[in-house]
Amino acid sequence: MNELFLPYLTAGVVTPLVVALMVPGQSEGRRRVTALMAAGFSALCFAVAGGTSGGVAVVDPLIPWLTSGPLTVLPLVFYALMTVAVLLMAPKRDADGSFLAGVLILLGGTSLANAAANLGVMTVGWWLTLVPFLAGMFGSRAGLGRAVWFQLVAGVLLTVGVVLLKVTGVDGGLREGGGVAFGLLAMATVLRKGVFPLHAGTMQLFERGPLLPAGLLFNGHLGALMVARLELEGLTEAGRMVMDVAGLVALAGALLAAVRAFAERKPRRLLALIAVSQASFILAGLATRNMAGVTGALVHWMVVSAASMGMACVLRAVEVRVADALAPAGPLGLAVRAPRLAVFFLVCGLALIGLPGTLGYCAEDLLFHGALESHPLLGVALPLATALNAVHIMRLFGVLFLGVLPKDVPNVPDVLVRERWALSAFVVFLVACGIVPRLLLATAVPAAETMHAEPTHHDAGPTHHGGSEK
Amino acid sequence: MYSEKLLSVLVAVPGVVVLMLSLSWLFGLALAERTISRVTKAVYALLIVTAVLLVLSLWRGHVDSVTMFAGHWFTVGDYGFDVVLLADRLSVPFALLTVVLAGIVGAFSVRYLHRDPGFFRFFLLLHLFTLGSLLVFLAGSLDLLVAGWELVGITSVLLVGFFQYRRDPVKNALRVFTTYRVADLCILIAIFVAHHSFGAASWAAMFSGTWPEAENLMHGPAATVLAVLLVLAASGKSSQGPFYGWLPRAMEGPTPSSAVFYGAISVHAGAYLLLRAEPLIRSSMVATVVLVTIGLGTAFLGTLVHRTCADAKTSVAYASQTQLGLIFAEIGFGWTTMALVHITGHAVLRTLQFLRTPSMLRDYHRLHAASGGNLDPTGSHYESILPARVQHWLYRFALGRGFYDSVVDRFVAAPVLRVAKLLGVFEPAAAAVPELKAEDEKRASVTVEII
Repeated sequence: MNELFLPYLTAGVVTPLVVALMVPGQSEGRRRVTALMAAGFSALCFAVAGGTSGGVAVVDPLIPWLTSGPLTVLPLVFYALMTVAVLLMAPKRDADGSFLAGVLILLGGTSLANAAANLGVMTVGWWLTLVPFLAGMFGSRAGLGRAVWFQLVAGVLLTVGVVLLKVTGVDGGLREGGGVAFGLLAMATVLRKGVFPLHAGTMQLFERGPLLPAGLLFNGHLGALMVARLELEGLTEAGRMVMDVAGLVALAGALLAAVRAFAERKPRRLLALIAVSQASFILAGLATRNMAGVTGALVHWMVVSAASMGMACVLRAVEVRVADALAPAGPLGLAVRAPRLAVFFLVCGLALIGLPGTLGYCAEDLLFHGALESHPLLGVALPLATALNAVHIMRLFGVLFLGVLPKDVPNVPDVLVRERWALSAFVVFLVACGIVPRLLLATAVPAAETMHAEPTHHDAGPTHHGGSEK
Repeated sequence: MYSEKLLSVLVAVPGVVVLMLSLSWLFGLALAERTISRVTKAVYALLIVTAVLLVLSLWRGHVDSVTMFAGHWFTVGDYGFDVVLLADRLSVPFALLTVVLAGIVGAFSVRYLHRDPGFFRFFLLLHLFTLGSLLVFLAGSLDLLVAGWELVGITSVLLVGFFQYRRDPVKNALRVFTTYRVADLCILIAIFVAHHSFGAASWAAMFSGTWPEAENLMHGPAATVLAVLLVLAASGKSSQGPFYGWLPRAMEGPTPSSAVFYGAISVHAGAYLLLRAEPLIRSSMVATVVLVTIGLGTAFLGTLVHRTCADAKTSVAYASQTQLGLIFAEIGFGWTTMALVHITGHAVLRTLQFLRTPSMLRDYHRLHAASGGNLDPTGSHYESILPARVQHWLYRFALGRGFYDSVVDRFVAAPVLRVAKLLGVFEPAAAAVPELKAEDEKRASVTVEII
């Protein structure tokens, strides 16, 4: 494996962790800027590492357990940039020193998991992302019992699964790993991602936890990353079977979560169910093991991250303006007062459910083709779930922004300048990459090819039934 | 080559305008009404000239159709989403109709929406709608058609809810959107059936020859499924059969948008799809029967309900539905040219009617006076032939609008909501936390609404 010229990956991972220790002691005016610079520097390091690698896997010269390859370069850069946006968006009342430090630890942990050269290091990163929540860095943990327990159980399952693989594996690889170990890893993935019916923890985290950090934790998509890594390294027959089952569970879970959302009215819970449903598509896509499905899953990963994070940012912005937004008794009608927030929310939402012209359309087109090729009948669940989620997006939009403005709603400001920068970044990403998807596919396709390159288990060739056959 | 360039201009221009308007909004540039008005008029003038030149170039070159390959939108392995545009004897009349009627509505709206807070939003959505419609009519494949189809759908919904500060438009917009999504599911699955069973979803691969002499290349049970799915998708867009209820609800939008969407273009997109897929539908008895039944059934119901409507726009909406039902039946019977002429005439007439609805009473009085006060009431002759009991029953049925909403609420929405509540067993109640208890109680008291 090639080695990077400079330890970009180490710098990218360690910087936010080190700055997280400094930020709480800084003055109110400086700490947000410091945190922003740390996250921005991290993004820059990962981008340079990806750029200099030339599309092949490279190892860090300082810490050899850190690598960057076609699969991880995009999530690394994207997550760091998303953290920058969240740091910009965080309302003043949230953004104290402890909060900012927690967000930086989340970034460090997720980056470590993404850049990990093996499952052991990835497990460390996985646990690191839970530290801010366990340590109460985002405020009171009251009412978060189930959410914390779900994440803890997922972490324990992952750790036991990885240890089992190491114990039973040959040469430290995965090929000889047993079904039990893969079963544990699959369970950890399902719990971490909150795939229906094991979504109660994620729901609680969104509903009663800190919304922006919850969104960041969710959109690290470490569960999907682990499945992708396992596929990348090649699975045993038992492992393939377990991951197939996980994919089917995700497929059914996506639909059931979308149905369940009809009984929800609280914005945070509704958003959680939409995100859970749409994120389940990623697992379902990865399990298809065909080019269209896997590439669609990787692109959808970015779409879910950007769109659901954008929606969460807007929702939090609305909550700090109007207290009723936590549990509105009726439509809040905020589009009159905050039209820009409304448009940002709507574009992110429509991108999430695949409006043509946004990146979501490309992702879902690929995902549907992939899913239908693998499971012609079950694959119908994906378009059906998307159709239902679209309705929920409009319901959520309606509750927050449409309808008669209640008389007790004060004269709230529209989007602030710093918020506009962050939200514009989400929207521009979703639309620009939707109009020219090649910008993103240039990275996603090689990653999918890498995952697809396992010759002994390679039974599903590239699709031959697309929009046009060349 | 010349025709291909015109074809690309026709699709690119509204796309560029939408992009420019969106960027100007994003950068906080507040465009004056006059600027938007001038841009709109210039754009539609350009589009009309382009469409006319396209017609002339096809006519002078004695060419039945022009196909333009605009490139791959995205490619993954052997799968590629190609952007292929097609201009033929079916798509060109629809494209021409779109730019002319949308242009007229655009010009009308400048005054109609003068000083409305949503002025900019309306014109942005109008241009987006034009882009979507042109994509639908000029698409060379079902894949690309769906892209335009969804753009038309979302703009339609956003315009139904245009007056977002009122309760009813918002409620109705959501209802319309739900119906659209269910119907769009049919077209999405149809695309997958086409890919899975026949290897392609482009018109060139599905049919041989050019419209109206095209021949179907798909056969067997999968072709029947595909045909039925397309009929259902078209029904959704044109408010027919099982999707009959949304069109009157869509009347909550501003009158110009009602004219261009529900009188002129959007509702006829379903008929366009049927005309395009007519060789396929013709080859399937099941699909033909479904189509004719849906068309005639909706026409009967539409004409019945239309007579009991108290407000002008809803009345015109039901009348529009009636004519669309007849158009569906004509396509089912294979009278494609007649259907095309019917569509053109209907679109133009309805646009005029919708734009004049705010002045309907004045128009009626003028007409009444011009005829010397002898303007006879119309439409009561056939009802009077029926027995009194049947008349009463039909009247009640029409007043209840066929009881469509009740049926949907009771047999579709309520069961879905019941299942959704049942799925709540996977979310056991959280342990009581004192500071959150009050919030939980508040939540429990909130009435759950499905739509």
